Amino acid sequence: MKKKRLLKFVPFLVFAAFLVSGPAGSLHEAQAAEQAPAAAAQAKNVLTGKVTGKSNKAKTITIEVKDGTEMVKFDDNTTGLEHAAEGEAAIIEFSGQGKERVATVIKPKLAELPPGVTEISTEELVKLVNQGPSEANFFLVDSRPAPRYHEGHIPNAVSIPVDDLKKIGAARFPGDAKLNNTMLVFYCGGPT
Amino acid sequence: MSTASAGLAVKMGYKNVRVYLQGTPGWSKTGHNMFASEKFVKSGNIVLIDLRAKEAYEAGHIPRAHNIPLASLPDREDDLPSIQKAPVVVYGDTLADAEKAYMMVKKWGCKKGSIWHGGVATWKGPLAKGPTPAEITWKRQMGKGEVSLADFMKAVEGNPQQLILDVRTNDEVTDGRFANSVHIPLDEIEARIGELPKDKEILAHCTTGARAEMAVPALKKAGIKARVLVADVECEGGKCTATE
Repeated sequence: MKKKRLLKFVPFLVFAAFLVSGPAGSLHEAQAAEQAPAAAAQAKNVLTGKVTGKSNKAKTITIEVKDGTEMVKFDDNTTGLEHAAEGEAAIIEFSGQGKERVATVIKPKLAELPPGVTEISTEELVKLVNQGPSEANFFLVDSRPAPRYHEGHIPNAVSIPVDDLKKIGAARFPGDAKLNNTMLVFYCGGPT
Repeated sequence: MSTASAGLAVKMGYKNVRVYLQGTPGWSKTGHNMFASEKFVKSGNIVLIDLRAKEAYEAGHIPRAHNIPLASLPDREDDLPSIQKAPVVVYGDTLADAEKAYMMVKKWGCKKGSIWHGGVATWKGPLAKGPTPAEITWKRQMGKGEVSLADFMKAVEGNPQQLILDVRTNDEVTDGRFANSVHIPLDEIEARIGELPKDKEILAHCTTGARAEMAVPALKKAGIKARVLVADVECEGGKCTATE
């Protein structure tokens, strides 16, 4: 994800570099001075991952990224703070470097659905759950680790943690699911 | 997890595959029921509440259940321990009764509530008989990376191998600090990490444990061993106390 993001901005960087080094009048120079750091910031200054903590007292957010947990501050100018909720996947853009990073914009990280998979809304799922699996011809799978399932799950759900599914394949899906075109619905602890 | 699973299902040849992206938080937030599994009701660290009438409860209830008839539940908010932390599991004569109670404890701040939807009727194990215990008690199990209050207090008294780290704000520490502590506000921890010794275990605290928990990755990154105190810390007149 991070790599893709970097690659996406490569043309932008080249463009920014041109702005800096290219021949230009005073007006262009002034623009370049503004634009170049902004472009570089967009390319590099992004943290994507799961928010693990947010403190309003310390104005600090911790976010679990690929290589570990990072810390970033926020201030009154930070937008989208509501997306920095513990447990939510977020994209945090920041200014500043190293230990003085300040979040500028926080966006929710939307999950990407694999090809051939569509989303189901709460309303639609409620309807199915109320009807029951056999009546509404669906099979609801809780993909979280088993202890989470035991604590509390959506009614009618069956526990098949994602790691189990990798090992056992379709063994726990209804045997006639393909034949009956049974809807398989998967959920976990949020949009991940 | 759900998207990865759905992707696997597509690879297996299933054509009708959907993902509920909001997941359990979205489901629960919109006021829908969560069910507990039998295993959790049997052995989870929970507060189990039987909502039926006293006579029905005494004649046979799920082991470990406390009896609070649904009609009297509104008056019993203060009798439920650590409502925000304890998973409260309810069951009654009907699912509708259990739903009412579930919504009520959720309104009181219970974050981990759930319903044992089958009630006594579907309980496979033996039932217990007799009156309800006098008091509802519940103790949180210590999580990984936590220090117990007792061990923390030993370090406050003085332990050459350990050092207390106070990550509260500058304002908060004006009312006092624990002995044998250093104070670095959470937002300064990365910049001032060099002030901490690497040969001691750090026991971090704030006012609840939330900020202390947030400080741990930065400490570990710097090669410092650290644990967190999850407790309410209050300071007054220079003296601090911690309560679980």
